[in-house]
Amino acid sequence: MTPRRYLLALGVPGLIWVVLFVTLALYSLLAIALGGLDPLLLTPVPAWNPLDWSTTNVHLVAQSLQPFSGDTWVVFQRTCIYILIALAGCILIGYPVAYFTAVHAGRWRGTILALLVLPLLVSYMLRMLAWVGLLSPQGWVNAVLVPLHIVLSNFGWLDGRAITVVSGLMYGWIPYFIIPVYAALARFDTRYLEASRDLGAGTGSTFFRVTLPMSRQGLLAGTVVVALPMFGDFFTNGLLSGVSSTGMVGTLINTYAESQTNQAVAAALAVWLTVFLAILLLPYLRSSARAGREVGR
Amino acid sequence: MSSRLRHVCWGKVGLVTIVVLYILWSLAPVAIAFLFSFNAGYSRSTWQGFSLQWWTGSKSVFNLPIYTDAIRHSMLLAVLSVAITVPLGVSLSIFLSRWRGITARPASFLATVPLVVPELVLALALFFLVTKVNLPIVTLGTSGQVVGQVTFILPLVIVITIGRLSSIPTGYEEAAQDLGASPPQSFRLVLVPLLQPAILASAIVAFAVSIDDFVITQYMSSTSSTQSVPMLIYTATRGGATPALNAMATIMAVTTILIAAIGFVLYRLLARREQIADAPAPALAVTPEGAR
Amino acid sequence: MAGGHIQITDLSKVFGDVPAVNHIDLEMVSGEFFSMLGPSGCGKTTTLRMIAGFEDPDSGQILLDGVDIRRTPPHKRPVNTVFQAYMIFPHLNVYENVAFGLRRQRVGKDELRRRVGAALELVQLGELAKRKPQQLSGGQQQRVALARALILEPAVLLLDEPLGALDAKLRHQLQDELKTLQETVGITFVYVTHDQEEALTMSDRIAVMSHGSVEQIGTPREVYDEPATEFVADFLGVSNLLSAGAVSGGAGECLLQVGEFTLTARGGDTAARGQVKCVVRPERVNLKPADAPGPNRLPGTVERLVYLGSAIRAIVRLATGQTLQSLIPSDGRPVAFEQGSAVQVELPADALRVLTGGGRAVTPHAEDVLSDQLEGAADA
Repeated sequence: MTPRRYLLALGVPGLIWVVLFVTLALYSLLAIALGGLDPLLLTPVPAWNPLDWSTTNVHLVAQSLQPFSGDTWVVFQRTCIYILIALAGCILIGYPVAYFTAVHAGRWRGTILALLVLPLLVSYMLRMLAWVGLLSPQGWVNAVLVPLHIVLSNFGWLDGRAITVVSGLMYGWIPYFIIPVYAALARFDTRYLEASRDLGAGTGSTFFRVTLPMSRQGLLAGTVVVALPMFGDFFTNGLLSGVSSTGMVGTLINTYAESQTNQAVAAALAVWLTVFLAILLLPYLRSSARAGREVGR
Repeated sequence: MSSRLRHVCWGKVGLVTIVVLYILWSLAPVAIAFLFSFNAGYSRSTWQGFSLQWWTGSKSVFNLPIYTDAIRHSMLLAVLSVAITVPLGVSLSIFLSRWRGITARPASFLATVPLVVPELVLALALFFLVTKVNLPIVTLGTSGQVVGQVTFILPLVIVITIGRLSSIPTGYEEAAQDLGASPPQSFRLVLVPLLQPAILASAIVAFAVSIDDFVITQYMSSTSSTQSVPMLIYTATRGGATPALNAMATIMAVTTILIAAIGFVLYRLLARREQIADAPAPALAVTPEGAR
Repeated sequence: MAGGHIQITDLSKVFGDVPAVNHIDLEMVSGEFFSMLGPSGCGKTTTLRMIAGFEDPDSGQILLDGVDIRRTPPHKRPVNTVFQAYMIFPHLNVYENVAFGLRRQRVGKDELRRRVGAALELVQLGELAKRKPQQLSGGQQQRVALARALILEPAVLLLDEPLGALDAKLRHQLQDELKTLQETVGITFVYVTHDQEEALTMSDRIAVMSHGSVEQIGTPREVYDEPATEFVADFLGVSNLLSAGAVSGGAGECLLQVGEFTLTARGGDTAARGQVKCVVRPERVNLKPADAPGPNRLPGTVERLVYLGSAIRAIVRLATGQTLQSLIPSDGRPVAFEQGSAVQVELPADALRVLTGGGRAVTPHAEDVLSDQLEGAADA
C-alpha cells in the first residue's frame, strides 16, 4: 500500500542517521575500549570484530576502580559526593520554586516561568564566566564577604576548592531541574489538596501526605535530567577550579582523551560509566518507556 | 483560628522569599557579566568605570577576528544544525508514530539514546567514529561538528514532535486521501500545516541547544577556525581575556533570547489560529540534556 | 446517474485474533440508500473502511461497477467518505475545505469557484464560505463534510455515523435532509449507524450486522416486521420474544404450545420444530376483555400502563408467566383497561413469527423463562 511505502520514505533518512551516528558511534567507542594499541604510533586501534576484543583497557580501568584503593575509585567517589550535594541543593531550592510557581503563583505564573526559562537560553558558559568574574580574588563576592569577616582577604575561590565546584554545578543545572518538576506539579489537580483539607488534614500534613508523594515522578525526572550531565561534566571544574584534585569522572575521561596514547583508557572509562548509569537508570527508564509507548500510540 | 491563618501566611511568605531570592541569584551574575562588558579597564572582576571600548573601537569584540570568527562559526553551526535536524527529526517522528510494525519501538529507543548518556560519552564515541572510520564528507571540523550537534539535538526534536503528533488524529490524513490527495500531498497539505507549532518549537530548541553546545562541538573540532563561542569562552575565561569576552558572550545570549521570544509569539499565534489545544511551552515538553 | 453498484464477496478482516468482519457478502444497488446497522463492534465501520480503502481486507472481493478496487489506494477510488468526527481541516476555511479535493484535480479557476458555490448551496452553507471550522456548529461542520465529499461526484458516498455527535432534534432534521439530498443527487449512499430508528427512517435497504456477520438484509419493513433471527428481532424495535414449543404445522402454518395454550403462527420459519423463539411486535398485540377468549388468545393481567403521548404501552403478564408489551394507539377514547385488569392477549397468527436458529449470543430477556414449562408440552 502506498501509504506504507511513503511512511518508510519519511523514516529511512532518520533511521540511517541514527544507526550510523548513534549505534555505530557507540560501537566504535566499544571497539576502541576493547581494542589494541598500534605498536608504532602508540595510538589506539579499534577492534571491530568481537573475536578480536581484548579486555586489557577495561581491566585496567576496573583495577583502577578498586574500591578505596584505585586512583579512579577516588575520583568516582568524589564525583558521587559532589553530585549528591549538588542534587540536594537543587531539590532544596528548586522544589519550593517549582511548587510555588505551579500551585501558588496565580497571575504571576507566566512572568515567573519566563524568568525561570531565561537561564536556559543563556549559555552555560556565560553563566560560569559570570561567576569567574565574581569569584576572582578582587571580585565582588570577596568585596562583600571580606568586610563581613566571613573570609580572609583575597580568598581564592577559584584555586581548586570543592565548594566552588559543587556550587557551580548546582548553579548551572538547577534551572534544568526546576522545569520537569514544575511540569509534573502543574498537571497536579489542586482538588486533591482541597479534598485532603476537607478530610481534616492540616497544611503540613496535606503537604507531606498528598503533595509530596504526587510530586515524586517530577522529582525523579528532574533528578535524572540533571544528574546525567553532571556525570559527564568536566568543564565546570575546568572553569571554576582548574586542578584535577577537584575533578570528577568527566575530567578524568577528558584528560585521557586529550592524550593520544591513553584514548583507549578514556574509552574504557566511558564504557564503564555508561554501564554504571544504565544500571542506575534502568527502573526509571523502563517506567518512562512504558508511559512513552502509551503516549506514542 | 487566627493563629492558623498566620501560620499559612508565613509559609507563603517564606515561599515567595525563596522564589525571589532564587530568581535574583539566578540572573544577577549574568546581568553583572553584561555590566562588566562596559568596564573602563581590562578587568572582568573589578569595576573601573564605564566605557564602550569593548563594543566599538580597535579593542572591541567586533574588531578582533578571534571573537568575530567564533560568533560567525557558532551561527554557521546553528543554521546548519537546525536546517538538518528539524526536517530529519520531524520525518522520523511521523514514521515512528504512524508506523504499524515491529521496527518502530527499537528505532524509538535508539533515537533517544543520546538523551540517556552523558554528552561526553556521545562526543567521545562520535570522535572515534569519525577518526577511525573513513566516512565520506564527515571529518573532524565543521562537518563533524554539525553531525555531532544534529545527533545530539535529534531526540529533543523527536520528543517535541511525537508529543504533538499523538494529539493529531490520523483521520485528517485519511480525509485528505479520501478526497484524492496522494500520501505525499496529504503530508504536505494537511499534516505539515497541523504540525507547524511543533516544527517551530523544534527549530527554536534546536537553535538554542546548538548555540550553547560545548562538549560535542569541542570534540569534533579541528583547527582554530572551527572554534565556537562556548569553546572560546572555555579557553579564555581563566586567562587574561578582556571584557570583550563578556561582550561576545552577551551577544550570543541576547540573540538566543530574542529568537526564542519571537518564536514564542509566533507559536502562540499559530496554535491559536488552529485552536489545537495549547501545548505547554516547548521547554516544558522537553527535558534537555543540554550540557554546556 | 448510473454507476455506484458495489458487490462485496466473502469479505474478511481480522484484528489480532478477533474477526472483525467474518466472510460477509453484501450488494449495494446503484442509487440506493443502503445502511449497515448494528451495535458497536459488529464490523460495520470496518467494512465501510475497507470499501473506502483505509483497511486492507484479509480476504474477499470488493467490486465497484465491476472493477475490483481492493488493490486501489484510497486516493484513487471513486468513493468519498463523511467521517464520524467530520475531520474538517482546521487550518483551512470552509471554502478551501470544500475545494480541497477539486484542487487535486486541476480544474480551472472559474469552474472551481462555480462548483464550490454549487456544493455549498446544496448543503445550505452559502454564506459561511469564509468561516473557519472552529466557528461552526456541529451541524454546520457536518454539512461542510458532505459538501466536500459530494463536490467530487463520487460513485458512492460512505457515511460513518455522521449524526452521532448531534442532539436529537438536529439529528432528526438532518436525517430528513440527508434522505432528500440522496434522492436529489441520486448516487449510492452507504450509511453506517447503530441507531435503528435512523436506519429505518432513511434507508432503502438495511443490512443488520452482529459480531462480524450479516444477520439479515432487507427493506426497513422487512427487517422490522419479518425479522429472520432473534438478534434482528431484538435489535429493531421492541421485541416481544416468546418462547414456545413448535409441535406441528401445515402449509405455511405452525402450531405452538405455550404452557397449556395453543397458538398458530403464520410468519417466519413455520417448518421449525421443538423449542423455538417467536416474535410479535407490540403494535400487533391486541388486548381484549377478559371474558372473550378465542383463537390465538392468552389470558393475562395488565401490570403497568405507560403513557407515551402518541400511544399507550401496556405491559402484560401472561398466565404462563411471560411478559409481553402491547402498544395501544391513542385515539381519543379512554383506555378500556387499567393496572391490574385481567385481559385476553390476542396474538394474530400472521403477526406471530417463528425465528430461525439460536446459537448466537443475544441479550437475555426477563420474559423468556419458559424452558421448564416446555417440558410439560404435550407431544404432537
